[in-house]
Amino acid sequence: MEKNITLAHGAGGKQTSMLIDEVFKTHFSNPLLTADDAAILQIDSGKIAFSTDGFIVSPFEFPGGNIGKLSICGTVNDLACMGAKPLYLTCAFVIEEGFPLTILEKIASSMEKTAKETGVKIVAGDTKVAGKGQIDNIFITTSGVGQLAEGISLSGSKACVGDAVIVTGDIGRHGCSILLSREDFGIETSIKSDCAPLWGAVEKMLEVTKTLHVIRDATRGGVGTVLYEIANQSNVGICLDSKEIPVSGEVAGVCGMLGLEPLYLACEGRLVVFAPMDEAEQIVKTLRQLPYSKEAAVIGEVTSEMPGRVVMKTEIGAKTLLPEPGGELLPRIC
Amino acid sequence: MCVGLSAKVIGIDNGMAIIDASGAKREISAELIKDLEPGDYVMVHAGIAIAKITDNDEDETDEIMESL
Amino acid sequence: MKTACIENKKMSAKEIIESYKGKPLRIMEVCGTHTHEIFRLGIRNILPDTIKLISGPGCPVCVTPVGFIDESLMLALEHRAVICTFGDLLRVPGSKMSLADSRQKGASIKMVYSPVDALSYAKEHPDKEIVFLSVGFETTTPASCLAVKKAKADGIKNFSLLVANKTMPEAYKILKNSADAFLYPGHVDAIAGTSVCESLVKEGVSGVVTGFTANELLTALAVAIKLSEKGKPFFKNCYPRVVKSEGNIPAQELVNETMESCDSEWRGLGKIKKSGLKLRADYKDFDARTRFNLPKIPGKSNPACRCGDILQGKCKPTECGLFGKICNPQHPVGACMVSNEGACSAYYQYGGNL
Repeated sequence: MEKNITLAHGAGGKQTSMLIDEVFKTHFSNPLLTADDAAILQIDSGKIAFSTDGFIVSPFEFPGGNIGKLSICGTVNDLACMGAKPLYLTCAFVIEEGFPLTILEKIASSMEKTAKETGVKIVAGDTKVAGKGQIDNIFITTSGVGQLAEGISLSGSKACVGDAVIVTGDIGRHGCSILLSREDFGIETSIKSDCAPLWGAVEKMLEVTKTLHVIRDATRGGVGTVLYEIANQSNVGICLDSKEIPVSGEVAGVCGMLGLEPLYLACEGRLVVFAPMDEAEQIVKTLRQLPYSKEAAVIGEVTSEMPGRVVMKTEIGAKTLLPEPGGELLPRIC
Repeated sequence: MCVGLSAKVIGIDNGMAIIDASGAKREISAELIKDLEPGDYVMVHAGIAIAKITDNDEDETDEIMESL
Repeated sequence: MKTACIENKKMSAKEIIESYKGKPLRIMEVCGTHTHEIFRLGIRNILPDTIKLISGPGCPVCVTPVGFIDESLMLALEHRAVICTFGDLLRVPGSKMSLADSRQKGASIKMVYSPVDALSYAKEHPDKEIVFLSVGFETTTPASCLAVKKAKADGIKNFSLLVANKTMPEAYKILKNSADAFLYPGHVDAIAGTSVCESLVKEGVSGVVTGFTANELLTALAVAIKLSEKGKPFFKNCYPRVVKSEGNIPAQELVNETMESCDSEWRGLGKIKKSGLKLRADYKDFDARTRFNLPKIPGKSNPACRCGDILQGKCKPTECGLFGKICNPQHPVGACMVSNEGACSAYYQYGGNL
């Protein structure tokens, strides 16, 4: 019979140790991950960034990734957005009774792979098992610390009039991939989630310029939501050029069928970057040489008009407000 | 009221058509359009081909403007 | 042809619109998707003051009465039917809650892309009762009819429709004084053909069949402006790549075979004679109202809501006392705030007058 997670795996006894040894230690093994109650870490002088994020995703496996990869990328990217090199992560699992061990293995293995790629270590963890039906399969929470690069101070409140707005790749893939796997719309595509760790991209940008103002990862609510957040936080206007926004053909096709706007579809591997316009070309050039940002593009600029709002220059050369995002994304058909 | 999608027919079988909208594919009903063939363009709404169309809106609008 | 345009310095559609200096014109876009695209493209922001665009009642979600949502909630919560619906309807408020809210109470609500998919779901789940919420105008109705016809042919016993489909011709007559020209809904006419719109010319009603791309919308507006200047009632099909004068005859036959005309309640406009559809007697086994013996449910709507006036172009969304205060897209009170396509929702989202 296939091995599944039981309540005993979360009870703290022998089976818990077995689960930790067989699954988590195998994959996350490093000298800092011990059987003690907390990890002891050496932090160099300077500032650290510290962040946490919880992950619930249905389905927990999707084209281009799974909840494990997502949980590493999420926290790694949050740290990267502050200009911090991700160093250490913790992860807490809540697993539903009956969850197959083989899939847990797979999730842990994705986490290992993604962590290795970024050079981040998983130094502590926790596992709880919830009774059947109490949760949807598996939830993961990761927390992480990162070392802030010298002299870097990024914040959502630092967008300046005249800044270029850069997006590091074509948008909406994650949201599209999840929507199509979750709902039964019968649409076939090869769209994969853009889920990716982005410290590499941030590191390279910091090498070519010291004048980045804002970096934020576009997750739930998509690029549109991030733009509204920044416009409000920095009290500036943002003007987008609709024809510059990178959207893959397939994502556009799905959006056409379902009446959706790609700017509100979630991404899990895209950054929105604000930097002075005269640096933009160099930044985009740098990004395009990297694996997760080949489609990087300048999509607009920061203006003094209509602070707190995002305006779109449309294909007919008119200007219109980008509607403020809100609520569950619902396909529009009739 | 009616979100329509213009898409290319890439296959026909037994009243159903496979359509391609810039790479996104779906099976739809082709029962309401006579003599549909692969390569034709259709307007799709709620899973049904509602009209056989030409895909180029520029030629259409140029002609209309010309006739003014 | 393009070079010729340039050589003759012929004005583009956009230039015709922007430079219009004639008498004031009220143009109504009937279709909700037109409303949506016009806002998305910023077309309102290039119009001269003399042209007023009015958003008409062509959003099926907006004109679906409160009672219909209450009926579907009763099916979901009391009869434990699985409700299959277009995503559009999920947030529409009923008397007490929306379909989205009802999920918390254990209702099973499934979004589908097509009524035919709802039928497939019924075939895969013979132990469950599946009800498809059949809303929509001429464009959408054939999909419901196709599903119900297949269900009958295949002897499916657990599938039914809750029908609130509507038809446009009678609505045009009610709206005829609301505008100087209409942008007729291109996809409705793709099915219905253009004869109704053409014959409205005799009653002094002008309009152009309009497509949905930026080019098509601008062209249709420019044509409506140019023809209005001539001063006589007019009709022109500006969407000929999709709309043929006879429409889609197999679709018309299918609808006629499965459904028949009836009086219908429009949220905001009230009851309009012969403006709706119901299943024919041959298909009564597939009518959710008969099948579940639903009582008549009078929905209650807020008396301060001015959606009726807005749908007829008598006032702008911003002139309604509820607009933006207690009525917004997250908590819609009236019809026009409900759907993304509704006039109030579009005004709200696009900032009213930018």
